[in-house]
Amino acid sequence: MSKPVPLVKLDEKEYIQPANQACQGCTGASVARIVGKVLKDKMVRQEVACCGPAFGNLDQPSLYGEVFEGAGAMSTGLSRAFKRLEREDAIVTAIVGDGGTTDIGFQGLSGAAERNENVLWICYDNEAYMNTGGQRSSATTKYAETTTTPVGEFSRGKKERRKNVAAMVALHRVPYMATASIAYPEDFIGKLEYAKSIKGFRFIQVSAPCPTGWRFEPQVAVKIGKEMVLSGLWPLYEVIDGEKFRITYKPKELKPVKDVLKMQGRFRHITEDEIKEIQDDVTSYWTRLVAKDGKEFF
Amino acid sequence: MMEIRFHGRGGQGAVTGVRLLSTALYYEGKYTLGIPMYGTERRGAPVQSFLRVSDSRIYERDLVHEPDIVVVLDPLLAKTVPVTQGLKKGGLVLVNHPHAGDQTGIGGPFKVATVDATKVAMETIGRPITNTAILGAFAKVTGMVKLASLEEAAHHQWSGRIGEMNIKAMQNAYEAATPAVDVSKVKMKDVTVQSRARKAGESDVSSWRLYRPVFNDAKCVGCRRCYILCPEVAIGMENNKAVVNYQYCKGCGICQEECPTKAIDWVQETI
Amino acid sequence: MPQKFEVMVGNKAVAHAVRLARAKFISAFPITPQTTIVQYIADMVANGEIDAEFVTTEGELTAQASAFSAGAAGVRAFTATAGPGLLYMHHPMIATRNNRIPVVMAVMHRGIKGMDPDQTDMMAQRETGWMMMECDSGQEVLDTGLMAYKIAEDERVRLPCLFAGDGYILSYTDEPIDIPDEAKVDAFLPPYKTMIPLLPDQGKENRDFQMQQWSIGQDVQTTFIEDQQAMENAKKVIKEVNTEFKKMFGRGYGNGLVEEYKTKDVDAVIIAAGTIASTARVAIDKLQSEGKKVGLVRLKTFKPFPAEEFQRIGPKVKAMGIIDRNISIGSGGWAFGEIRNAMYEVEERPRTLQFHAGLNGKEVRVQDIIKIGEKTLKAASGMKVSPLVEWV
Repeated sequence: MSKPVPLVKLDEKEYIQPANQACQGCTGASVARIVGKVLKDKMVRQEVACCGPAFGNLDQPSLYGEVFEGAGAMSTGLSRAFKRLEREDAIVTAIVGDGGTTDIGFQGLSGAAERNENVLWICYDNEAYMNTGGQRSSATTKYAETTTTPVGEFSRGKKERRKNVAAMVALHRVPYMATASIAYPEDFIGKLEYAKSIKGFRFIQVSAPCPTGWRFEPQVAVKIGKEMVLSGLWPLYEVIDGEKFRITYKPKELKPVKDVLKMQGRFRHITEDEIKEIQDDVTSYWTRLVAKDGKEFF
Repeated sequence: MMEIRFHGRGGQGAVTGVRLLSTALYYEGKYTLGIPMYGTERRGAPVQSFLRVSDSRIYERDLVHEPDIVVVLDPLLAKTVPVTQGLKKGGLVLVNHPHAGDQTGIGGPFKVATVDATKVAMETIGRPITNTAILGAFAKVTGMVKLASLEEAAHHQWSGRIGEMNIKAMQNAYEAATPAVDVSKVKMKDVTVQSRARKAGESDVSSWRLYRPVFNDAKCVGCRRCYILCPEVAIGMENNKAVVNYQYCKGCGICQEECPTKAIDWVQETI
Repeated sequence: MPQKFEVMVGNKAVAHAVRLARAKFISAFPITPQTTIVQYIADMVANGEIDAEFVTTEGELTAQASAFSAGAAGVRAFTATAGPGLLYMHHPMIATRNNRIPVVMAVMHRGIKGMDPDQTDMMAQRETGWMMMECDSGQEVLDTGLMAYKIAEDERVRLPCLFAGDGYILSYTDEPIDIPDEAKVDAFLPPYKTMIPLLPDQGKENRDFQMQQWSIGQDVQTTFIEDQQAMENAKKVIKEVNTEFKKMFGRGYGNGLVEEYKTKDVDAVIIAAGTIASTARVAIDKLQSEGKKVGLVRLKTFKPFPAEEFQRIGPKVKAMGIIDRNISIGSGGWAFGEIRNAMYEVEERPRTLQFHAGLNGKEVRVQDIIKIGEKTLKAASGMKVSPLVEWV
């Protein structure tokens, strides 16, 4: 089980390039920074085409493959090669967006998870294909406006609910699967430390609100992340070996989803009925999660 | 053929502005090519786009290297982006600035006209999106396009209130624009700052900022929340107090929003 | 030299090549007619004959992309595929070559229209920038597999290489095959070294990612020029490796780029590749026994295309009958187009005729090639000959 790590315990050394080429207020960059800081000298980064390359790492080797769909494949090859070279101390870390995880990258993800490749997969989830301008992904929240799910007379934004990739990965019975949020760095760091201490396929999906795509001022990027956790839109939990399930941050009562949705331009159009639909969905899922807290995942 | 270069910020309407101008010119029988010059969406980053204007069809597809006119949508850009690079001798710079043309810091064998487009935009649209305001000034200063054509283009682009607000911005800026003045006597600071440095650690993103965080040591308790959440690694800890390296700060504001003791002030960048 | 012969199918010969080359990363996904390659390798891994990472991927794209990254990280990588599987790999194949990773891949041809062999699967990947070689026997398949690593890993080259043979005709036909001695192969093929530092304490990645769409004033064409130069260098290296292989193992394949068969003092040549070239030998023997002066040039290396070889051979004959077991719809055959291109530089250029044969697995018989030889001779004698393009 993971344990939150106080920020004062962090080493000073940085493993991410300062003043990167990402947007103002990019929480994805903060995610990558924290990953580098925790994994330190042993991290070997695997990158695909996404926002990721805009926040390049420092003093850590990286293989960038212009194969958007290939994170699962490329991290497999790296990890197996290092095993052959007797360098399993290298922590192959794929830092991938939601597109490269839940959609085009899904086949590779499932393959790597199923084979229990010795890979740490960090998905920074900004809920769309942000690198190409913000098209919907299967991770986009229902009713969100994106450039391919615009709001108009015949459309109310994204039609489908979020694909629950976290649960899907856990069902591959991988050694470790966790959700995290940039708004809760201590919890996230604790999960990284736990993942660092074991081998096999480890997966952490990190909520990374995007000012450019979700349409809010950059300064509230982390605040929105926090509100998403507090409202149950982004529950923080972990699953060990596909069995042991634990909620790692449990608000006594969930805040209404309406507040955080209204903070985002991508939900500017949302109606009371649509909010209720999302609210019911969140409430029902949270109830089920709470019921299985500390017990078997499936 | 006239060649124009626009300097703006990612996500702040530079491309829409060029399209509006192109449309307005088209209504007046001109042929235009509006060429964007940024890749992926990087909100806040300084960006450029180009416009070619002619009476007949334009075939040239490379970029504009020697513009006749430069339009700068943000007063801070002139300080950190080489806006006059390649500008033809005797060329015109139209810059969003609260002061007159010879007080913008832009100098050389050029003419500079100004308009406080930010003020106009805030008054009419309520947000600092200066693309339409600057176009109103463009019409006045260059005489290349009629204000009425720009208004028609705005109607075409937006419906309802948004269209009206933008047209008001154009009209107000048209009135408020200062005439072009010769700046050959003005000494311009050499701007060689490179936001996209080749070597890690050499990037300077200070030109992205509209506001800067100012840290109050007395209130800082060393919790490190701002430090860990800064996407640019601009904040470090010294003697358990947060300190910022302004070269790396894009002015996103996360630090001041997240600080639990409100130890960070949010100060507008001075022009 | 003591030789170890065993009767086996071409696919098994590939497995032996992979074993002898000591590939350490093998990614595997089945597709007819290559499937048994990965099964033979699986057997060898299971009984300890091969000691490698054997990864059964969930698809060909992953098979290629993981071979790419394994090669980048520092182990010799191999994969195999055919037809649609090769097409599915297109995207990561380009990543492999862009990054100059010398992955070697076996392809047992399966044409794009069905299950049967022709070269259209390999042709569809022409633009990936991989080196491509065509074999006409199971033995050549094994030997080329070994040579491919040496050529690909040469410092002057560092390009991935695929070696191909016709599905069914080579993949599933039993032939007596000599399995080279392990120690000899170790002497022939030095250990693999990556050029990309990826180990944690090795590589300092301080790359500042350039997001600009158009690069003003930057030399962005350089890597194309370098890749092209590597391909040029490959022509020389292929010849060197072929000579060295012949010296060590007693078998060479022409000069590695092309193989001439009974071309002395002929008026015309047939150009063919793969198993069609194999059958063509019999046709040439028959024709020459009747006094008809037509020889055979077997095209072994398709990429880099050995234009200089044809510029050398061209002036010596009056006509070339070029058999393409492929076609680019809307253009024409691969070898025909390249050879004509090469001939433009030749003052005394021969007439060139295009033949398409064997597509979609259509059987190509000795008598078919005899007819091709006769038509080509007719053209060599100066007579009017039509059509220019003939489907056999």
